[in-house]
Amino acid sequence: MNIHAGLTHYLVVSALLFCLGLLGVVGRRNLLVIYMGLELMLNSANLALVAFSRFNNNLNGQVMVFFVITVAAAEVAVGLALIVALYRRRQTAHVEDLVSLKL
Amino acid sequence: MNTSLIIVEILVALLGLGVLMADLWLPAERRRGLGWVAAAGVAVIFFVGLKDAAEVSYAFGMPGAKTGMYVLDGLAVFFKQFFLLAALLVILMTTEYAPKLGTGVSEFYSLVLFALLGMLFAASANDLVLLFAALELVTITFVVLNSYRRDQTASIEAGVKYLILGATASAFMVYGMALMFGAAGTTNFNEIAAAQKALGGSPIFLAGLVMVFAGLSFKMALVPFHAWAPDVYQGSPAPATAFLAVGSKAAGVVLLLRLLFAAVPVIASRWQHVLGGIAAVTILYGSLCAIPQLSLKRLMGYSSIANAGYLLLGMVAMSKTGASGILFYVTGYLFTVLAAFTVISVILARTDSDDLSSLHGLSQRSPWLAGALAVAMASLAGVPPMAGFVGKFLLLKPMVPLAAADPFLACVLGVALVGVVISLYYYFGVVRAAYWGNGTADLTPIRTTWAVRLALGICIVGIFWLGVLPDALIQASTPAVEVLRPESPVTPQQAAR
Repeated sequence: MNIHAGLTHYLVVSALLFCLGLLGVVGRRNLLVIYMGLELMLNSANLALVAFSRFNNNLNGQVMVFFVITVAAAEVAVGLALIVALYRRRQTAHVEDLVSLKL
Repeated sequence: MNTSLIIVEILVALLGLGVLMADLWLPAERRRGLGWVAAAGVAVIFFVGLKDAAEVSYAFGMPGAKTGMYVLDGLAVFFKQFFLLAALLVILMTTEYAPKLGTGVSEFYSLVLFALLGMLFAASANDLVLLFAALELVTITFVVLNSYRRDQTASIEAGVKYLILGATASAFMVYGMALMFGAAGTTNFNEIAAAQKALGGSPIFLAGLVMVFAGLSFKMALVPFHAWAPDVYQGSPAPATAFLAVGSKAAGVVLLLRLLFAAVPVIASRWQHVLGGIAAVTILYGSLCAIPQLSLKRLMGYSSIANAGYLLLGMVAMSKTGASGILFYVTGYLFTVLAAFTVISVILARTDSDDLSSLHGLSQRSPWLAGALAVAMASLAGVPPMAGFVGKFLLLKPMVPLAAADPFLACVLGVALVGVVISLYYYFGVVRAAYWGNGTADLTPIRTTWAVRLALGICIVGIFWLGVLPDALIQASTPAVEVLRPESPVTPQQAAR
Protein backbone atom coordinates (compact mmCIF):
# COMPACT_ATOMS: atom_id res chain seq x y z
CA MET A 1 0.00 0.00 0.00
CA ASN A 2 1.39 3.32 -0.99
CA ILE A 3 0.41 6.16 1.30
CA HIS A 4 1.48 9.57 0.10
CA ALA A 5 1.05 12.53 2.42
CA GLY A 6 0.42 15.60 0.29
CA LEU A 7 0.19 19.29 1.15
CA THR A 8 -3.53 18.97 1.88
CA HIS A 9 -2.93 16.38 4.58
CA TYR A 10 -0.47 18.59 6.38
CA LEU A 11 -2.76 21.58 6.11
CA VAL A 12 -5.74 19.65 7.46
CA VAL A 13 -3.68 18.49 10.43
CA SER A 14 -2.45 22.00 11.09
CA ALA A 15 -5.97 23.40 10.84
CA LEU A 16 -7.19 20.75 13.30
CA LEU A 17 -4.38 21.57 15.72
CA PHE A 18 -5.17 25.28 15.43
CA CYS A 19 -8.85 24.65 16.23
CA LEU A 20 -7.94 22.39 19.16
CA GLY A 21 -5.65 25.08 20.53
CA LEU A 22 -8.34 27.72 20.11
CA LEU A 23 -10.81 25.43 21.87
CA GLY A 24 -8.37 25.14 24.76
CA VAL A 25 -7.94 28.92 24.96
CA VAL A 26 -11.67 29.60 24.84
CA GLY A 27 -12.93 26.66 26.84
CA ARG A 28 -10.47 26.01 29.65
CA ARG A 29 -10.33 27.97 32.86
CA ASN A 30 -6.79 27.33 34.06
CA LEU A 31 -4.22 29.84 32.82
CA LEU A 32 -1.56 27.17 32.33
CA VAL A 33 -3.87 25.05 30.18
CA ILE A 34 -4.85 28.16 28.22
CA TYR A 35 -1.18 28.74 27.67
CA MET A 36 -0.75 25.22 26.35
CA GLY A 37 -3.58 25.92 23.92
CA LEU A 38 -1.78 29.05 22.72
CA GLU A 39 1.41 27.11 22.11
CA LEU A 40 -0.57 24.56 20.12
CA MET A 41 -1.98 27.35 17.96
CA LEU A 42 1.49 28.76 17.28
CA ASN A 43 2.89 25.33 16.46
CA SER A 44 0.04 24.54 14.10
CA ALA A 45 1.05 27.67 12.22
CA ASN A 46 4.62 26.39 12.19
CA LEU A 47 3.46 23.11 10.70
CA ALA A 48 1.57 24.96 7.97
CA LEU A 49 4.62 27.12 7.25
CA VAL A 50 6.96 24.16 6.98
CA ALA A 51 4.51 22.22 4.80
CA PHE A 52 4.04 25.16 2.43
CA SER A 53 7.78 25.67 2.39
CA ARG A 54 8.49 22.04 1.55
CA PHE A 55 5.88 21.71 -1.16
CA ASN A 56 6.55 25.09 -2.78
CA ASN A 57 10.33 24.61 -2.72
CA ASN A 58 10.72 27.92 -0.94
CA LEU A 59 12.90 28.15 2.16
CA ASN A 60 11.43 31.45 3.41
CA GLY A 61 8.75 29.61 5.36
CA GLN A 62 11.30 27.54 7.25
CA VAL A 63 13.13 30.72 8.23
CA MET A 64 9.93 32.24 9.50
CA VAL A 65 9.38 29.20 11.71
CA PHE A 66 12.59 30.05 13.55
CA PHE A 67 11.23 33.53 14.26
CA VAL A 68 7.95 32.08 15.50
CA ILE A 69 9.69 29.59 17.79
CA THR A 70 11.92 32.30 19.23
CA VAL A 71 9.04 34.64 19.84
CA ALA A 72 6.99 31.83 21.39
CA ALA A 73 9.85 31.08 23.79
CA ALA A 74 10.05 34.73 24.82
CA GLU A 75 6.30 34.83 25.27
CA VAL A 76 6.39 31.74 27.49
CA ALA A 77 9.18 33.19 29.62
CA VAL A 78 7.22 36.37 30.27
CA GLY A 79 3.90 34.56 30.57
CA LEU A 80 4.97 31.97 33.11
CA ALA A 81 6.68 34.64 35.22
CA LEU A 82 3.46 36.60 35.17
CA ILE A 83 1.34 33.58 36.11
CA VAL A 84 3.68 32.91 39.04
CA ALA A 85 3.39 36.55 40.13
CA LEU A 86 -0.39 36.26 39.92
CA TYR A 87 -0.35 33.03 41.92
CA ARG A 88 1.78 34.55 44.65
CA ARG A 89 -0.65 37.39 45.04
CA ARG A 90 -3.99 35.68 44.64
CA GLN A 91 -3.22 31.94 45.23
CA THR A 92 -5.03 31.16 42.00
CA ALA A 93 -4.36 30.56 38.33
CA HIS A 94 -7.98 30.50 37.22
CA VAL A 95 -9.47 33.05 34.90
CA GLU A 96 -12.73 33.33 36.89
CA ASP A 97 -10.72 34.86 39.70
CA LEU A 98 -9.46 37.72 37.55
CA VAL A 99 -12.26 40.03 38.60
CA SER A 100 -10.62 43.07 40.15
CA LEU A 101 -10.98 45.03 36.90
CA LYS A 102 -14.63 45.54 36.19
CA LEU A 103 -16.97 48.40 35.50
CA MET B 1 24.04 45.86 3.32
CA ASN B 2 23.83 49.45 4.27
CA THR B 3 23.79 49.69 8.09
CA SER B 4 23.28 53.44 8.01
CA LEU B 5 19.65 52.72 7.14
CA ILE B 6 18.94 51.20 10.54
CA ILE B 7 21.11 53.60 12.51
CA VAL B 8 18.12 54.88 14.50
CA GLU B 9 17.17 51.38 15.60
CA ILE B 10 20.76 50.56 16.54
CA LEU B 11 21.04 53.73 18.62
CA VAL B 12 17.77 53.07 20.43
CA ALA B 13 18.80 49.47 21.18
CA LEU B 14 22.16 50.68 22.53
CA LEU B 15 20.45 53.34 24.62
CA GLY B 16 18.06 50.74 26.08
CA LEU B 17 20.92 48.36 26.92
CA GLY B 18 22.96 51.25 28.29
CA VAL B 19 20.20 52.29 30.68
CA LEU B 20 19.82 48.67 31.77
CA MET B 21 23.57 48.32 32.44
CA ALA B 22 23.89 51.70 34.13
CA ASP B 23 21.31 50.54 36.63
CA LEU B 24 23.74 47.87 37.82
CA TRP B 25 26.50 50.29 38.69
CA LEU B 26 24.73 53.41 39.82
CA PRO B 27 23.88 53.84 43.48
CA ALA B 28 20.13 53.67 44.16
CA GLU B 29 19.64 57.36 44.85
CA ARG B 30 21.05 58.39 41.49
CA ARG B 31 18.96 56.03 39.38
CA ARG B 32 16.13 58.51 39.01
CA GLY B 33 18.47 60.56 36.87
CA LEU B 34 18.49 57.73 34.34
CA GLY B 35 15.11 58.96 33.15
CA TRP B 36 16.69 62.22 32.08
CA VAL B 37 19.51 60.32 30.36
CA ALA B 38 17.01 58.18 28.47
CA ALA B 39 14.91 61.22 27.54
CA ALA B 40 17.97 63.14 26.38
CA GLY B 41 19.13 60.17 24.34
CA VAL B 42 15.77 59.84 22.61
CA ALA B 43 15.72 63.59 21.98
CA VAL B 44 19.18 63.47 20.39
CA ILE B 45 18.14 60.55 18.18
CA PHE B 46 14.96 62.43 17.28
CA PHE B 47 16.85 65.52 16.14
CA VAL B 48 20.02 63.96 14.70
CA GLY B 49 19.37 60.36 13.74
CA LEU B 50 16.66 60.79 11.15
CA LYS B 51 17.23 61.93 7.62
CA ASP B 52 14.35 62.69 5.35
CA ALA B 53 13.94 59.82 2.93
CA ALA B 54 14.15 61.48 -0.45
CA GLU B 55 14.21 58.10 -2.09
CA VAL B 56 12.91 54.73 -1.02
CA SER B 57 15.65 52.38 0.11
CA TYR B 58 15.47 48.78 1.19
CA ALA B 59 17.59 46.60 3.45
CA PHE B 60 17.76 42.90 4.36
CA GLY B 61 16.72 41.67 0.95
CA MET B 62 17.84 38.69 -1.08
CA PRO B 63 21.16 39.36 -2.82
CA GLY B 64 20.45 41.22 -6.02
CA ALA B 65 16.78 41.81 -5.25
CA LYS B 66 15.35 45.30 -5.64
CA THR B 67 13.26 44.94 -2.52
CA GLY B 68 13.86 43.89 1.05
CA MET B 69 12.38 43.18 4.46
CA TYR B 70 13.07 46.65 5.73
CA VAL B 71 12.04 49.80 3.92
CA LEU B 72 13.02 53.38 4.64
CA ASP B 73 10.60 55.74 2.93
CA GLY B 74 8.58 58.81 3.78
CA LEU B 75 5.99 56.85 5.74
CA ALA B 76 8.65 55.07 7.77
CA VAL B 77 10.43 58.33 8.62
CA PHE B 78 7.16 60.02 9.58
CA PHE B 79 6.23 57.23 11.98
CA LYS B 80 9.77 56.91 13.36
CA GLN B 81 9.61 60.59 14.35
CA PHE B 82 6.17 59.95 15.79
CA PHE B 83 7.33 57.02 17.94
CA LEU B 84 10.47 58.79 19.14
CA LEU B 85 8.42 61.81 20.20
CA ALA B 86 5.89 59.58 21.96
CA ALA B 87 8.64 57.71 23.81
CA LEU B 88 10.29 60.98 24.81
CA LEU B 89 7.07 62.31 26.35
CA VAL B 90 6.33 58.99 28.04
CA ILE B 91 9.80 58.89 29.62
CA LEU B 92 9.36 62.46 30.90
CA MET B 93 6.00 61.43 32.34
CA THR B 94 7.60 58.39 33.97
CA THR B 95 10.12 60.50 35.89
CA GLU B 96 7.14 61.95 37.74
CA TYR B 97 5.52 58.55 38.29
CA ALA B 98 8.83 56.91 39.31
CA PRO B 99 8.25 56.77 43.10
CA LYS B 100 5.30 54.44 42.52
CA LEU B 101 7.43 52.09 40.45
CA GLY B 102 9.84 51.55 43.31
CA THR B 103 13.29 50.12 42.68
CA GLY B 104 12.64 48.84 39.17
CA VAL B 105 12.35 52.24 37.57
CA SER B 106 15.42 51.98 35.33
CA GLU B 107 14.19 48.70 33.86
CA PHE B 108 10.94 50.53 33.14
CA TYR B 109 12.87 53.10 31.09
CA SER B 110 14.76 50.45 29.18
CA LEU B 111 11.56 48.48 28.51
CA VAL B 112 9.99 51.64 27.11
CA LEU B 113 13.04 51.94 24.85
CA PHE B 114 12.74 48.31 23.72
CA ALA B 115 9.06 48.78 22.94
CA LEU B 116 10.11 51.87 21.00
CA LEU B 117 12.60 49.70 19.09
CA GLY B 118 9.80 47.33 18.09
CA MET B 119 7.69 50.28 16.93
CA LEU B 120 10.57 51.72 14.89
CA PHE B 121 10.98 48.39 13.11
CA ALA B 122 7.21 48.17 12.62
CA ALA B 123 7.30 51.54 10.85
CA SER B 124 9.71 50.06 8.31
CA ALA B 125 8.21 46.58 7.94
CA ASN B 126 8.03 45.53 4.31
CA ASP B 127 7.71 41.84 4.96
CA LEU B 128 5.37 39.63 6.97
CA VAL B 129 8.32 38.26 8.96
CA LEU B 130 9.50 41.70 10.07
CA LEU B 131 5.89 42.73 10.74
CA PHE B 132 5.52 39.75 13.06
CA ALA B 133 8.87 40.13 14.82
CA ALA B 134 8.40 43.88 15.37
CA LEU B 135 4.84 43.50 16.60
CA GLU B 136 5.81 40.74 19.03
CA LEU B 137 8.66 42.81 20.42
CA VAL B 138 6.10 45.51 21.16
CA THR B 139 3.49 43.10 22.56
CA ILE B 140 5.79 41.13 24.87
CA THR B 141 7.42 44.29 26.19
CA PHE B 142 4.02 45.74 26.92
CA VAL B 143 3.01 42.63 28.87
CA VAL B 144 5.86 43.42 31.26
CA LEU B 145 5.13 47.16 31.31
CA ASN B 146 1.43 46.59 32.02
CA SER B 147 2.06 44.27 34.95
CA TYR B 148 4.89 46.40 36.27
CA ARG B 149 3.30 47.23 39.60
CA ARG B 150 3.39 43.76 41.08
CA ASP B 151 2.16 45.12 44.40
CA GLN B 152 -1.21 45.75 42.83
CA THR B 153 -3.51 42.92 41.78
CA ALA B 154 -5.08 45.11 39.13
CA SER B 155 -1.75 45.61 37.38
CA ILE B 156 -0.94 41.88 37.29
CA GLU B 157 -4.43 41.17 36.10
CA ALA B 158 -4.05 43.71 33.31
CA GLY B 159 -0.80 42.02 32.29
CA VAL B 160 -2.37 38.55 32.26
CA LYS B 161 -5.30 39.73 30.18
CA TYR B 162 -3.05 41.46 27.71
CA LEU B 163 -0.80 38.41 27.56
CA ILE B 164 -3.56 35.88 26.84
CA LEU B 165 -5.53 38.00 24.38
CA GLY B 166 -2.36 39.34 22.75
CA ALA B 167 -0.92 35.87 22.31
CA THR B 168 -4.21 34.64 20.84
CA ALA B 169 -4.17 37.52 18.39
CA SER B 170 -0.57 36.76 17.40
CA ALA B 171 -1.39 33.07 16.97
CA PHE B 172 -4.13 34.09 14.54
CA MET B 173 -1.71 36.41 12.81
CA VAL B 174 1.01 33.77 12.42
CA TYR B 175 -1.47 31.28 11.03
CA GLY B 176 -2.74 33.92 8.64
CA MET B 177 0.83 34.64 7.55
CA ALA B 178 1.39 30.93 6.95
CA LEU B 179 -1.67 30.87 4.68
CA MET B 180 -0.62 34.04 2.88
CA PHE B 181 2.87 32.67 2.40
CA GLY B 182 1.46 29.39 1.12
CA ALA B 183 -0.76 31.07 -1.46
CA ALA B 184 1.65 33.78 -2.55
CA GLY B 185 4.94 31.93 -2.22
CA THR B 186 6.53 35.03 -0.71
CA THR B 187 6.28 37.15 2.41
CA ASN B 188 7.51 40.37 0.84
CA PHE B 189 4.92 43.13 0.47
CA ASN B 190 6.19 44.29 -2.93
CA GLU B 191 6.12 40.79 -4.33
CA ILE B 192 2.65 40.18 -2.88
CA ALA B 193 1.49 43.45 -4.44
CA ALA B 194 2.84 42.35 -7.82
CA ALA B 195 0.93 39.07 -7.61
CA GLN B 196 -2.26 40.32 -6.00
CA LYS B 197 -4.39 40.23 -9.15
CA ALA B 198 -4.02 36.47 -9.22
CA LEU B 199 -4.14 36.10 -5.43
CA GLY B 200 -7.42 37.97 -5.10
CA GLY B 201 -9.31 34.85 -6.13
CA SER B 202 -7.43 32.50 -3.82
CA PRO B 203 -9.54 31.62 -0.76
CA ILE B 204 -6.44 30.55 1.18
CA PHE B 205 -4.80 33.94 0.64
CA LEU B 206 -7.97 35.82 1.59
CA ALA B 207 -8.42 33.71 4.74
CA GLY B 208 -4.82 34.47 5.68
CA LEU B 209 -5.29 38.16 5.03
CA VAL B 210 -8.38 38.25 7.25
CA MET B 211 -6.45 36.55 10.06
CA VAL B 212 -3.55 38.99 9.80
CA PHE B 213 -6.07 41.84 9.80
CA ALA B 214 -7.54 40.37 12.99
CA GLY B 215 -4.11 40.39 14.61
CA LEU B 216 -3.55 44.03 13.70
CA SER B 217 -7.08 44.95 14.83
CA PHE B 218 -6.12 43.67 18.25
CA LYS B 219 -3.25 46.16 18.39
CA MET B 220 -5.53 48.99 17.36
CA ALA B 221 -8.38 47.78 19.63
CA LEU B 222 -11.01 47.56 16.90
CA VAL B 223 -14.29 45.77 17.55
CA PRO B 224 -14.47 42.70 17.83
CA PHE B 225 -10.90 42.59 19.20
CA HIS B 226 -11.34 45.41 21.68
CA ALA B 227 -12.22 43.48 24.85
CA TRP B 228 -8.80 43.88 26.43
CA ALA B 229 -8.53 47.65 26.12
CA PRO B 230 -10.65 48.94 29.04
CA ASP B 231 -9.29 46.42 31.57
CA VAL B 232 -5.67 46.78 30.53
CA TYR B 233 -5.85 50.57 30.40
CA GLN B 234 -7.34 50.66 33.87
CA GLY B 235 -4.95 48.25 35.52
CA SER B 236 -1.62 49.30 34.01
CA PRO B 237 0.63 52.00 35.46
CA ALA B 238 -0.30 55.35 33.91
CA PRO B 239 2.86 55.86 31.76
CA ALA B 240 2.55 52.32 30.38
CA THR B 241 -1.09 52.99 29.53
CA ALA B 242 -0.10 56.20 27.80
CA PHE B 243 2.50 54.47 25.66
CA LEU B 244 0.05 51.67 24.93
CA ALA B 245 -2.60 54.17 23.88
CA VAL B 246 -0.30 56.10 21.54
CA GLY B 247 2.63 53.93 20.50
CA SER B 248 1.07 50.52 20.29
CA LYS B 249 -2.01 51.84 18.50
CA ALA B 250 0.09 53.77 16.00
CA ALA B 251 2.20 50.66 15.36
CA GLY B 252 -1.03 48.88 14.44
CA VAL B 253 -2.00 51.84 12.24
CA VAL B 254 1.26 51.96 10.29
CA LEU B 255 1.30 48.19 9.75
CA LEU B 256 -2.31 48.21 8.61
CA LEU B 257 -1.51 51.09 6.24
CA ARG B 258 1.41 49.14 4.81
CA LEU B 259 -0.59 45.95 4.51
CA LEU B 260 -3.76 47.42 3.01
CA PHE B 261 -2.25 50.19 0.89
CA ALA B 262 1.12 48.76 -0.14
CA ALA B 263 0.67 44.98 -0.18
CA VAL B 264 -2.93 44.35 -1.19
CA PRO B 265 -4.53 47.61 -2.40
CA VAL B 266 -6.63 45.87 -5.05
CA ILE B 267 -8.15 43.42 -2.61
CA ALA B 268 -8.57 46.03 0.13
CA SER B 269 -10.48 48.36 -2.18
CA ARG B 270 -13.18 45.67 -2.32
CA TRP B 271 -13.43 45.69 1.47
CA GLN B 272 -14.84 49.20 1.82
CA HIS B 273 -18.09 48.01 3.35
CA VAL B 274 -16.45 45.61 5.79
CA LEU B 275 -13.95 48.25 6.96
CA GLY B 276 -16.68 50.89 7.14
CA GLY B 277 -18.93 48.58 9.15
CA ILE B 278 -16.14 47.73 11.61
CA ALA B 279 -15.29 51.43 11.96
CA ALA B 280 -18.92 52.38 12.65
CA VAL B 281 -19.43 49.63 15.25
CA THR B 282 -16.12 50.49 16.92
CA ILE B 283 -16.96 54.19 17.15
CA LEU B 284 -20.44 53.50 18.51
CA TYR B 285 -19.25 50.89 21.01
CA GLY B 286 -16.40 53.00 22.36
CA SER B 287 -18.50 56.14 22.65
CA LEU B 288 -21.53 54.52 24.29
CA CYS B 289 -19.53 52.45 26.78
CA ALA B 290 -17.46 55.45 27.84
CA ILE B 291 -20.53 57.33 29.14
CA PRO B 292 -21.07 55.55 32.48
CA GLN B 293 -17.37 55.16 33.34
CA LEU B 294 -16.12 56.43 36.68
CA SER B 295 -12.50 55.35 36.29
CA LEU B 296 -10.42 57.87 34.42
CA LYS B 297 -8.09 55.35 32.78
CA ARG B 298 -10.98 53.05 31.87
CA LEU B 299 -12.72 55.99 30.23
CA MET B 300 -9.56 56.62 28.22
CA GLY B 301 -9.64 52.94 27.25
CA TYR B 302 -13.12 53.27 25.75
CA SER B 303 -12.13 56.57 24.18
CA SER B 304 -9.16 54.81 22.58
CA ILE B 305 -11.54 52.21 21.09
CA ALA B 306 -13.68 54.98 19.61
CA ASN B 307 -10.59 56.71 18.22
CA ALA B 308 -9.42 53.46 16.60
CA GLY B 309 -12.74 53.50 14.77
CA TYR B 310 -12.07 57.00 13.45
CA LEU B 311 -8.59 55.96 12.30
CA LEU B 312 -10.04 52.98 10.42
CA LEU B 313 -12.51 55.35 8.78
CA GLY B 314 -9.57 56.99 7.01
CA MET B 315 -8.68 53.64 5.48
CA VAL B 316 -12.19 53.09 4.13
CA ALA B 317 -11.67 55.79 1.52
CA MET B 318 -8.51 54.00 0.26
CA SER B 319 -7.19 57.31 -0.98
CA LYS B 320 -4.18 59.47 -0.33
CA THR B 321 -6.31 62.14 1.31
CA GLY B 322 -7.67 59.46 3.64
CA ALA B 323 -4.16 58.29 4.50
CA SER B 324 -3.01 61.85 5.04
CA GLY B 325 -6.00 62.34 7.36
CA ILE B 326 -4.92 59.29 9.33
CA LEU B 327 -1.39 60.63 9.78
CA PHE B 328 -2.75 64.00 10.92
CA TYR B 329 -5.26 62.45 13.30
CA VAL B 330 -2.75 60.09 14.87
CA THR B 331 -0.30 62.97 15.45
CA GLY B 332 -2.99 65.06 17.07
CA TYR B 333 -3.95 62.02 19.13
CA LEU B 334 -0.36 61.72 20.34
CA PHE B 335 -0.25 65.27 21.75
CA THR B 336 -3.75 65.07 23.15
CA VAL B 337 -3.59 61.69 24.83
CA LEU B 338 -0.12 62.24 26.22
CA ALA B 339 -1.20 65.59 27.68
CA ALA B 340 -4.13 63.86 29.37
CA PHE B 341 -2.00 61.01 30.64
CA THR B 342 0.72 63.32 31.94
CA VAL B 343 -1.91 64.99 34.13
CA ILE B 344 -3.30 61.58 35.12
CA SER B 345 0.23 60.38 36.01
CA VAL B 346 0.81 63.40 38.23
CA ILE B 347 -2.43 62.74 40.07
CA LEU B 348 -1.91 58.98 40.32
CA ALA B 349 1.62 59.50 41.63
CA ARG B 350 -0.06 61.05 44.68
CA THR B 351 -3.08 58.84 45.09
CA ASP B 352 -3.79 55.33 43.88
CA SER B 353 -7.41 55.87 42.93
CA ASP B 354 -7.98 56.78 39.32
CA ASP B 355 -11.63 57.52 40.05
CA LEU B 356 -13.05 60.64 38.44
CA SER B 357 -13.54 62.03 41.95
CA SER B 358 -9.77 62.12 42.41
CA LEU B 359 -9.87 65.05 39.99
CA HIS B 360 -12.12 67.07 42.30
CA GLY B 361 -10.57 70.36 43.27
CA LEU B 362 -7.83 70.05 40.64
CA SER B 363 -8.52 73.58 39.40
CA GLN B 364 -7.60 74.86 42.86
CA ARG B 365 -4.77 72.44 43.54
CA SER B 366 -3.04 73.23 40.26
CA PRO B 367 -4.71 75.54 37.74
CA TRP B 368 -2.12 74.64 35.09
CA LEU B 369 -2.75 70.91 35.29
CA ALA B 370 -6.50 71.46 35.21
CA GLY B 371 -6.11 73.74 32.21
CA ALA B 372 -3.95 71.21 30.37
CA LEU B 373 -6.47 68.46 31.08
CA ALA B 374 -9.32 70.67 29.84
CA VAL B 375 -7.43 71.46 26.62
CA ALA B 376 -6.69 67.76 26.05
CA MET B 377 -10.30 66.74 26.63
CA ALA B 378 -11.63 69.52 24.40
CA SER B 379 -9.24 68.43 21.65
CA LEU B 380 -10.30 64.78 22.02
CA ALA B 381 -13.92 65.86 21.80
CA GLY B 382 -13.15 67.77 18.61
CA VAL B 383 -13.58 71.39 19.66
CA PRO B 384 -11.99 73.95 17.31
CA PRO B 385 -9.33 75.34 17.16
CA MET B 386 -7.52 72.25 18.39
CA ALA B 387 -5.85 69.26 16.80
CA GLY B 388 -8.77 66.89 17.39
CA PHE B 389 -11.18 69.06 15.40
CA VAL B 390 -8.97 69.34 12.30
CA GLY B 391 -8.10 65.65 12.54
CA LYS B 392 -11.72 64.52 12.61
CA PHE B 393 -12.51 66.95 9.79
CA LEU B 394 -9.69 65.58 7.61
CA LEU B 395 -10.76 62.00 8.29
CA LEU B 396 -14.43 62.57 7.56
CA LYS B 397 -13.91 64.77 4.49
CA PRO B 398 -12.86 62.01 2.04
CA MET B 399 -15.85 60.00 3.25
CA VAL B 400 -18.36 62.59 2.01
CA PRO B 401 -18.16 61.85 -1.75
CA LEU B 402 -18.24 58.12 -0.98
CA ALA B 403 -21.24 58.54 1.27
CA ALA B 404 -23.07 60.47 -1.43
CA ALA B 405 -22.74 57.49 -3.77
CA ASP B 406 -23.28 54.67 -1.30
CA PRO B 407 -26.11 54.53 1.29
CA PHE B 408 -24.20 52.13 3.54
CA LEU B 409 -21.20 54.43 3.78
CA ALA B 410 -23.60 57.33 4.38
CA CYS B 411 -24.83 55.44 7.47
CA VAL B 412 -21.20 54.92 8.55
CA LEU B 413 -20.56 58.64 8.22
CA GLY B 414 -23.72 59.35 10.21
CA VAL B 415 -22.57 57.04 13.00
CA ALA B 416 -19.18 58.76 13.06
CA LEU B 417 -20.89 62.15 13.50
CA VAL B 418 -23.14 60.77 16.24
CA GLY B 419 -19.99 59.45 17.94
CA VAL B 420 -18.53 62.96 17.96
CA VAL B 421 -21.63 64.28 19.71
CA ILE B 422 -21.64 61.48 22.31
CA SER B 423 -17.95 62.02 22.99
CA LEU B 424 -18.61 65.67 23.88
CA TYR B 425 -20.66 64.44 26.80
CA TYR B 426 -18.15 62.10 28.43
CA TYR B 427 -15.04 64.19 27.77
CA PHE B 428 -16.69 67.17 29.39
CA GLY B 429 -17.59 64.95 32.32
CA VAL B 430 -13.84 64.85 33.01
CA VAL B 431 -13.52 68.63 32.70
CA ARG B 432 -16.51 69.05 35.01
CA ALA B 433 -14.88 66.82 37.61
CA ALA B 434 -11.70 68.89 37.49
CA TYR B 435 -13.39 72.29 37.70
CA TRP B 436 -16.77 71.90 39.35
CA GLY B 437 -16.39 68.71 41.33
CA ASN B 438 -16.74 69.19 45.07
CA GLY B 439 -16.47 66.79 47.93
CA THR B 440 -12.75 66.52 48.41
CA ALA B 441 -10.97 67.31 51.61
CA ASP B 442 -7.54 67.31 50.01
CA LEU B 443 -6.84 70.72 48.51
CA THR B 444 -3.06 70.68 48.93
CA PRO B 445 -1.45 72.37 45.95
CA ILE B 446 0.30 70.04 43.49
CA ARG B 447 3.83 71.10 42.65
CA THR B 448 4.87 69.98 39.21
CA THR B 449 8.40 69.07 38.21
CA TRP B 450 10.27 70.40 35.20
CA ALA B 451 9.80 67.11 33.37
CA VAL B 452 6.04 67.41 33.63
CA ARG B 453 6.08 71.06 32.60
CA LEU B 454 8.23 70.24 29.58
CA ALA B 455 6.03 67.30 28.52
CA LEU B 456 2.81 69.26 28.98
CA GLY B 457 4.29 72.28 27.22
CA ILE B 458 5.22 70.21 24.16
CA CYS B 459 1.75 68.60 24.10
CA ILE B 460 -0.22 71.83 24.47
CA VAL B 461 1.87 73.65 21.87
CA GLY B 462 1.38 70.65 19.57
CA ILE B 463 -2.38 70.62 20.08
CA PHE B 464 -2.79 74.29 19.23
CA TRP B 465 -0.16 74.26 16.47
CA LEU B 466 -1.97 71.47 14.67
CA GLY B 467 -5.31 73.12 15.27
CA VAL B 468 -4.39 76.61 14.09
CA LEU B 469 -1.81 75.86 11.38
CA PRO B 470 -2.73 72.39 10.12
CA ASP B 471 -1.15 73.01 6.72
CA ALA B 472 2.39 72.52 8.01
CA LEU B 473 1.77 68.92 9.02
CA ILE B 474 -0.37 68.16 5.98
CA GLN B 475 2.56 69.32 3.84
CA ALA B 476 4.98 67.25 5.91
CA SER B 477 2.83 64.15 5.53
CA THR B 478 2.70 64.42 1.73
CA PRO B 479 5.94 62.47 1.11
CA ALA B 480 4.73 59.94 3.65
CA VAL B 481 1.52 59.15 1.78
CA GLU B 482 3.24 59.30 -1.62
CA VAL B 483 4.69 55.85 -1.04
CA LEU B 484 1.28 54.33 -0.46
CA ARG B 485 -0.24 53.02 -3.63
CA PRO B 486 -3.97 52.95 -3.14
CA GLU B 487 -5.95 51.53 -5.98
CA SER B 488 -6.81 54.72 -7.81
CA PRO B 489 -10.49 54.91 -8.66
CA VAL B 490 -11.01 54.43 -12.40
CA THR B 491 -11.94 57.76 -13.89
CA PRO B 492 -14.15 57.91 -16.98
CA GLN B 493 -11.17 58.95 -19.13
CA GLN B 494 -9.14 55.96 -18.08
CA ALA B 495 -12.11 53.69 -18.68
CA ALA B 496 -12.50 55.11 -22.19
CA ARG B 497 -8.88 54.34 -22.94
